[in-house]
Amino acid sequence: MIRIEDVGKRFGEGENLFEALKSITLEVEEGECVILSGISGSGKSTLLSLIAALDRPSSGKIVVEGELVSKLPDLHASAYRAKTIGVIFQHFNLIESLSVEENVIVPLINSGLDMPAIRKMAEQSMQRASILHKASQDVASLSGGEKQRCAIARALVNDPKVILCDEPTANLDRENSLRFIDTIQKLNQAGKTIVIATHDPLFEALPFESRVIHMADGMIGKHGE
Amino acid sequence: MLSRSPFLHFLTLLLFKQKSKHLGIMSISVVMIALVSAVLFISSSLQQTLQDTLDEQADFTVTRIEAGRPVSTPLAWADRIIEIEGVSQVAPRIHGRYFYAPREESFLVVGIDFFDEQGSKALESLVKGIDLKQFFAEESMIVGEGVKAFLQKHYYKDTFSFKTPRGQFKKVKIYEVLPGSLNLLANDMIIMPIGLAREIFGLKEDEVTDITFNVPNDAEWDNVIGKLHLVDYEIRVVEKREVEKAYENLYNYKGGIFLILYIIALLTLMLILYQRYAMVYSHERKEIGILRAVGWSIRDILKLKFYETMILVMSSFVIGTVAAYGYVFVLGAPILIEIFLGGANLENQVQMIPEVSFGTLGSLFLLYAVPFFAAVLIPSWRVAVIPPKEAMR
Ligand SMILES: Nc1ncnc2c1ncn2[C@@H]1O[C@H](COP(=O)(O)OP(=O)(O)OP(=O)(O)O)[C@@H](O)[C@H]1O
Ligand SMILES: [Mg+2]
Repeated sequence: MIRIEDVGKRFGEGENLFEALKSITLEVEEGECVILSGISGSGKSTLLSLIAALDRPSSGKIVVEGELVSKLPDLHASAYRAKTIGVIFQHFNLIESLSVEENVIVPLINSGLDMPAIRKMAEQSMQRASILHKASQDVASLSGGEKQRCAIARALVNDPKVILCDEPTANLDRENSLRFIDTIQKLNQAGKTIVIATHDPLFEALPFESRVIHMADGMIGKHGE
Repeated sequence: MLSRSPFLHFLTLLLFKQKSKHLGIMSISVVMIALVSAVLFISSSLQQTLQDTLDEQADFTVTRIEAGRPVSTPLAWADRIIEIEGVSQVAPRIHGRYFYAPREESFLVVGIDFFDEQGSKALESLVKGIDLKQFFAEESMIVGEGVKAFLQKHYYKDTFSFKTPRGQFKKVKIYEVLPGSLNLLANDMIIMPIGLAREIFGLKEDEVTDITFNVPNDAEWDNVIGKLHLVDYEIRVVEKREVEKAYENLYNYKGGIFLILYIIALLTLMLILYQRYAMVYSHERKEIGILRAVGWSIRDILKLKFYETMILVMSSFVIGTVAAYGYVFVLGAPILIEIFLGGANLENQVQMIPEVSFGTLGSLFLLYAVPFFAAVLIPSWRVAVIPPKEAMR
């Protein structure tokens, strides 16, 4: 479960001060799929990065799976990212010089597992993301859709409870987008909590239960608006 | 074990896949380290050899002077010097430069007395398996490698004809060639029985070129010098400590040339380390952000960078020093040695005696490793502490 209470995020100082998020309050139930929609600059990515502890809120608090992530010291924040969260970034954020499999194992390197166990988990994850056939290919030479599937495999490799996706279909054609939605549906059925930031209309009418939340100007609109 | 540690697996993976990133810095580092350690090896080896010879040299050498010019020394002085309190191991020598006029080259001729125990012993240890009796019986000589090579070039195969001051020619057989390991000091040396040397220098039976002796107690040195002038007013005294100083000055002068080299190496190192430093901000910022985003802690990042740097630093240092060792002690430091020995008489093929100062090598390692680690770890840490979201932008 994700609980966001009165969260604000400001960037810059003085004249450059900019409020990207203004008093956001939101709850996401376990196993729920939430779509954050809204125009560019409305604060979707910022909110996702706060949930993932990739940045800290300026005010308010965020509790994920009972953990107060808005106040975590570094070592705990890293452990939280490693265990609880899987993020699929808009620009994938893969290490280009490494192969698909090598990218997928990155989150597990410091997990305490041994190499054979890590390889096995990576294989399962690549299977789920349908990228296993490209396991040894360098990321730099993959297509956009393949890169995204690699990013999905990496996000799933630690079997996280919460999956966060930032503009997952922005760089995909329609066929790959539908394929992605299919993957999300399966993950949702497997009980994962999913939050997707997007302005792709495809997500307005998903073939499975989901809740759409509109964001504008760093604030959340009324449900269904 | 190695392949089973995920951390080491990932470390080698990164090093291998991103080797082009490190190649430039590594090769420059290896060259710089090889150059600097080669100079260190050469100088410590030469210094050691010089020190060894100085250790063997007598504390004092005296010659007679006439109108300020060294001339033959009366053998009778030896008996008077022995009587001075505190003096020991008095040894008359016949010893001097023989100039080969057509080429303006010179040899150092050293005459050895068969009955002088010290000299004979030294000779026996220099030339293994020498038959002293035979050597002293014949009119023959033992020559340094440089002399041998020089004579050969001038068509003297087994013998050489010295010209005596009386205008006669004295034909002397080459009995043996000194081992190459002595080349630094004995390259231009000719060792022969004392009688033969006396003939070549035109000395009478009761004359020598100089007399050496020791004064074991340092405190008596000045006292002894005073008494020497009572032996004869026209005496020239050379003290070992003066010779030592002369060598030291020469060495320091050559050292100055290498100081410039050190500075160049240091500047180069600083330049490439600055490049490495900047690279973390430009190329590695995003990578660090990604690692952080998927759950690596600041500690994990620094650990990765530390081990990566350690592997690079250690391997370049080992490659550099081993290459320098081979260049100096196996190949004999071609080219560089000229700077050290430039201006020597006769062409010299000096053999370096392996002598490594681990203290100096350790300092060199620190001088290289500490800035290298700093140039990687400081920016890595600064990138690692910013929120991953910012680092990945
Ligand atoms: N580090 C930052 N410094 C200053 N302003 C920032 C920073 N990060 C985000 N912003 C600003 O905050 C606002 C919200 O950004 P955010 O990326 O969350 O928008 P978004 O809804 O994800 O937009 P998009 O649909 O284009 O991805 C934007 O106006 C952006 O310029
Ligand atoms: Mg965004």
